[in-house]
Amino acid sequence: MISHPFAYRSPETVAEAVDLVSAAPDRTRVLGGGTWVVPECNRGESSPDVLVDLRRAGLDRIELVDDVVHVGATSTYAALMSSSIVDRHLPMLAAMARGITGGGQLQSQGTIGGSVVAARPQSDAPAVVAVLGATLLLAGPQGERRVSGEAMFEGASRSGVRPDEILTRLEIPVQGAARWGYYKLKRSASSWPIATAACLVHRDGSGSVTDARLVLGGVSGTPVHVNINSVLVGDGVGPDRVDEAARLAAASVHSPWDDELAPGSYRLAVTHPVARRSLAMALPQEDA
Amino acid sequence: MTVQADPRSDAGAFAGQSLRRHNGDDYVAGRIAYTDDLKLPGTTHVVLVRSEVPHARITVDTETALARPGVLMVATGRSLAEHVGPIPNAMDPAPTGGQALELRVLPVDKVVYVGQPLAAVVAETLQDALEAAAMVEVSYEPLPHVLEAEDALAENAPLLYESWGSNLMLAGTAGQGELEDLDARSSGVVRGTLRTGRGAPAPMEPRVYVADWSTRSRRLTWYGTTQAPHPLRHSIAQFLGLRERDVHVVAPPVGGSFGFKNFGHPEEYLVCVLSRLLGRPVKWVEDRASTLRYGARDSRIHYTASFDTDGRVTAVSCDLLANHGAASATGAFGMAFAGSLAMPSGYDVARFRCDWRVVVTNKGPWSPMRPFGKEAGVLLMETIMDAVARETGLDPLEVRRRNWVKPDQFPFVTATGLELDSGDYEGLLDKALTVLDYEQARREQELARQRGRFVGIGIGFEVLPEGADIPGALIGASDISTVRMDPSGDVTVLTGVTSPGNGNDTAIMQIVADRLGVLMDAVSIIQGDTDLCPFGFGNVSSRGILTGGGSAALAAEDVAAKLRGVAAGMLGCEDPDRIVLHDGFASVAGEPERALPVAAVAHALYTVGYIVAPDIEPTLEATRTFKMANIRHQADAEGRIMPFSTFSNGIYLSVVEVDVETGIVELKRHVMVHDCGVMINPRFVTGQFTGGVVHGIGAALTEEVLHAGDGSQVSSGFKTYLLPRANDIPAFEIQHQVTPSPFTPLGTKGAGEGGVACTMASLLNAVNDALSPLGATVDQLPAVPHRVLEAIRGVGR
Repeated sequence: MISHPFAYRSPETVAEAVDLVSAAPDRTRVLGGGTWVVPECNRGESSPDVLVDLRRAGLDRIELVDDVVHVGATSTYAALMSSSIVDRHLPMLAAMARGITGGGQLQSQGTIGGSVVAARPQSDAPAVVAVLGATLLLAGPQGERRVSGEAMFEGASRSGVRPDEILTRLEIPVQGAARWGYYKLKRSASSWPIATAACLVHRDGSGSVTDARLVLGGVSGTPVHVNINSVLVGDGVGPDRVDEAARLAAASVHSPWDDELAPGSYRLAVTHPVARRSLAMALPQEDA
Repeated sequence: MTVQADPRSDAGAFAGQSLRRHNGDDYVAGRIAYTDDLKLPGTTHVVLVRSEVPHARITVDTETALARPGVLMVATGRSLAEHVGPIPNAMDPAPTGGQALELRVLPVDKVVYVGQPLAAVVAETLQDALEAAAMVEVSYEPLPHVLEAEDALAENAPLLYESWGSNLMLAGTAGQGELEDLDARSSGVVRGTLRTGRGAPAPMEPRVYVADWSTRSRRLTWYGTTQAPHPLRHSIAQFLGLRERDVHVVAPPVGGSFGFKNFGHPEEYLVCVLSRLLGRPVKWVEDRASTLRYGARDSRIHYTASFDTDGRVTAVSCDLLANHGAASATGAFGMAFAGSLAMPSGYDVARFRCDWRVVVTNKGPWSPMRPFGKEAGVLLMETIMDAVARETGLDPLEVRRRNWVKPDQFPFVTATGLELDSGDYEGLLDKALTVLDYEQARREQELARQRGRFVGIGIGFEVLPEGADIPGALIGASDISTVRMDPSGDVTVLTGVTSPGNGNDTAIMQIVADRLGVLMDAVSIIQGDTDLCPFGFGNVSSRGILTGGGSAALAAEDVAAKLRGVAAGMLGCEDPDRIVLHDGFASVAGEPERALPVAAVAHALYTVGYIVAPDIEPTLEATRTFKMANIRHQADAEGRIMPFSTFSNGIYLSVVEVDVETGIVELKRHVMVHDCGVMINPRFVTGQFTGGVVHGIGAALTEEVLHAGDGSQVSSGFKTYLLPRANDIPAFEIQHQVTPSPFTPLGTKGAGEGGVACTMASLLNAVNDALSPLGATVDQLPAVPHRVLEAIRGVGR
C-alpha cells in the first residue's frame, strides 16, 4: 500500500501530460507501465505528490514511416512481441521483449518507454535501443526535441529525458538486412540481466562486413558503445576477429556496475564471453 | 516427473493411494479464507516503525504521530514495559549453559538490527497508521555494529546484549573424544572449510496476526499464521498473565510455513498487548521485506577427517560457528544443536566430535526453517566423502557404500547418540542407479570434457532426525486426536497437528476413513482451533502424519471397535471381530449379504441403543494419544539424550554443467530417491519433496541474503533474493523406497523436511566434480556465478 497521499492523473493528450509534469517536476512521477515506480512508492522509497499515468495519452501506437518504426512510448513488451511491424523490421527488439524477466504479467504491463526513461543499468532496453540507433522524441513545455545516441542515457537511472518532459515515442530505423545478436546473461530465471550485449552487423553482397555496432548493457551505469568496426570491417571475419572484438568490448568497460546480484569484478570478467556470444549470433561461423 | 510408489503401504481402501486433496478445489477457486481475509468488526491496524541503523540507543518521540487523525495509540518498548514482561522463550538456552534471553515485543532502549520494530502505531485504518508511522521521531545514539560471527567473537567486539559479557549465545559439543592424533592413526587426512550463506523463509503468505481482547468475556482470541496453536496459546497466556483457558488461538489455513510460522516472534505477542490495552481487534500484516529479515544457515564449519586406505572414514572433528543475527525467542538457536546431532549422518564413524557455537550479530534474527540446521551435518559428511574419494581414487559412490550403516546394523547408535531406527541406504543407491545409468553418465561426462564442456555428477545422502521431543520445551513426540461419528454416520477428526498447506489433513482423513470403513466424503477434519481441538504440538519436525496420523489411527480403531460391536448385535453375529467395515458398510466376513450401512449402525446406537446394543456405552467418539516410544531424555553414561524418534533418508544424484566463462551452473538431471517409511499419500510426499528440492536448489545456487557494510539488508524482495523459478528446474526424477519405522503404528517416518539438505550436498559435489579438471573447488554456498568464477580464476594464483 502506498502510505502517503498523492494525486493520480491520467491525461488524455500529450499537452495535458506536459502541463501536469512541468507544473511540479520534482514532485511528480510518470507512469509508463508503473512496474518500477509503483513498487517504489509502495516501499516508501519514492513519495511523489502526483502520479501521471500515460496509459490514456494515446502513446501506444506502433507504425512504420519511411523505413523508420515509430514505437509509442507506452507500447508494452507484449505489444512489441505481437506487432508484425516489429517482428519484420526490428526482430532484435521483439526478441528482447520475449526475454524480459517477469513473464506474462510484466510483459503485459511494462512499457518500452518506461524502461528507457528509468534507464536502469539492470534492464534490457537501454542497450538494445542504443544499438538500434533509436531517437527519443520528447515533449516539454518548450515544445518537442529529439535525443539520440549516447545522450539518451546520462547515468545510472538517469536518462536524457528532463523531469519536465514526457517521452512520447521512439523512432527506430528498420534493421533491414543487418544481422543481429542479443545475448543476455542472468543468474537465474528471476534475475535481472547481469550483462547484455546487443550487436548489429551489416554486410555487403560479397559477405564483407561494412559496419558493425556493439552496445553492452548491465556492465556499466549506462550502455557502453564499443567501436568494433576497426576489428570487424572487411572480409573473412573468423572466430579470431570476433574474439578480438569481444576483447575490445571488455576493455571498453571502465567503471563496472556493482550491485547485490553481482560485483563489478564479475561483470568485468563476463563482458568478454557475453560480447563474443552476441557477435557469434550475428556472425555465424559457417566459413570459419 | 516419474513417481513410482512402492507397493508396501498402510494398505487400505484409501491409505497408500495418491488421492487428491479433499479441499483442493477451495484453494484453486480462491475460497480458502486466510488470516488476512478475516474482517472482524472494529478492527484496528498496526504499522511498525523500524530501526534505520544496525545498533544504537534510541529515544522515541511519539507526540506528533499520536496527534494524527485516526491514531489510537503509539506504543514503544518503554510504554509497553509498564504492562508486560519479556516474550516467553519457545526454547531457552539458559538451562544448557547458554545466555538468558529476555526479549521484549519492542526494545526498551536499544535496537540491534536494521529493520527491527521499535514502535507500533495503531490506527483506525491502515492508511492512517502508515501516515502516522512516518511521523514517529526516533533519535539514534549509534553504537558500533558487527555483522560476521568471527568478528563478533573478537576481543573488543561491540556487544549486542551487554549483560552477557560476550556475543556468544550458546555453545556445545556433539560426540566426544580428543581427536588430535587424527594424522597418526590413519593413512590420510582431509581438511577444509564449508560456508553456507544466509537464507530466508519465503512463504507465499507472510505472517499475519489478529488479536481480539473481549472486554465482555475477558478472553483473548488470536487469529494468525501459526504452525503451533496450542503451544502458542500457552505462551500468550504466560505473556499476558492470563489463565491458559482464557486464550483462544485460531489458525486459519496458511500459505506455507517452512518453520517460520512456529511461535516466538515479537509481533505475535505485540498484537495481544495492544488489543488488551485498546479493547479492540488489532491486526498486523507483514510485508515481504520483513519476512526476508529472518534468516537461517549463515554458518561456517572447519573440519578434519581421517581415513584409511580402503576409504573408511575413521574419525571426524569439526567446529561449527553459526551466525544467529539478533537473538530471538523462537528457539531458532536449536538449529545449531540439531545440525550437530545430525552428524555424522547415516555413516558409521566411530570417532566424531563437533564443537558448535551460536553467535549473535547485528543482522535480523534466525528463524526456525526447514531442515532446521540439519543441512550442516549433511553438507559436512557429503563433502568429506567426496574428499576421501579424491584422495583414495575410489569412486564417490563406493566410498559411501563402505562408510554408511548397513541394513543389519539397525538399530544403530551414532557417534552423537542418536539411535537410527531403520533404513536401507544401499537400497536407496541401487534404486537411484536404476534411474541414472551411472557408467553411461560418467562416459558422457568424459566426452563432454573432451569437447571443453564442464559436466559434473554429484551425490548427496541425507539422514534427517525427525519427530523431535525437546526437554523443557513445548515440542513433543506425541499428539492427540479425537475421532467422532455423528448419528448420520459423518466423521469428524479433531487434531492438534496443523497443515502448512501440504495435504497432511487429507492424509489423516484417509487413515481414519480406512479404519472406519467409510468413504472419504463422510470424513471431515478440524485443525488449528484450541477451543475445539485436543492439545497438539502443531506442525514441526515432520510430525503431521507421524504423531498426528498415529493418534488419529488409534482413535479411529477405538470407534471402529464400537461400531463392530453394535453391528454384530444388529446382524446377529456372535463375534464382533468377524464384522468387516468397508466401503460404507458393516458386514459379516465372508457373508456380504449380511450387511448394514455404517451410517445405519451409528444411527441405531444413538437412537435405539437400549435395544440393539444395551451393553455398549453409547458414544461414537474416542480420544487417543500416540507417543513415540524411542525418545530418551535420561542421559546415558556419555551424557547423551535421544530427542528424535525417526530418521527419514534419501539419496540424490545430480548432473550439472558449469559454464566456466560465466560461472553459471545449469542443473540438467536430478534423481531423487527417498525413504520416509510408509507413505499414506504418495502424491503429497512427492509434492513435499518437490518443494524441499526447490528450496535446496535455491540454497545451493541462488538464494542469499546480503548486508551492506552499514548493516542495511540489501536483499529485500524477490528481485534481490532470488528464488528458483519453474524454468530453473529440470523435470525431477523421483523414486520412493519404503522401509517402515518399527516405532510408529503406521510405519511412517515423516516427510516434512526432506530434500533440502540432500540437494545442497549433491549440487555442491556436482559443481566441484565439474570443476575438478581445472583444479578449482567451491566451498561456499550458494554457488552463485561470481563465486564459481572466482574459484576458477583463483586456481594457480
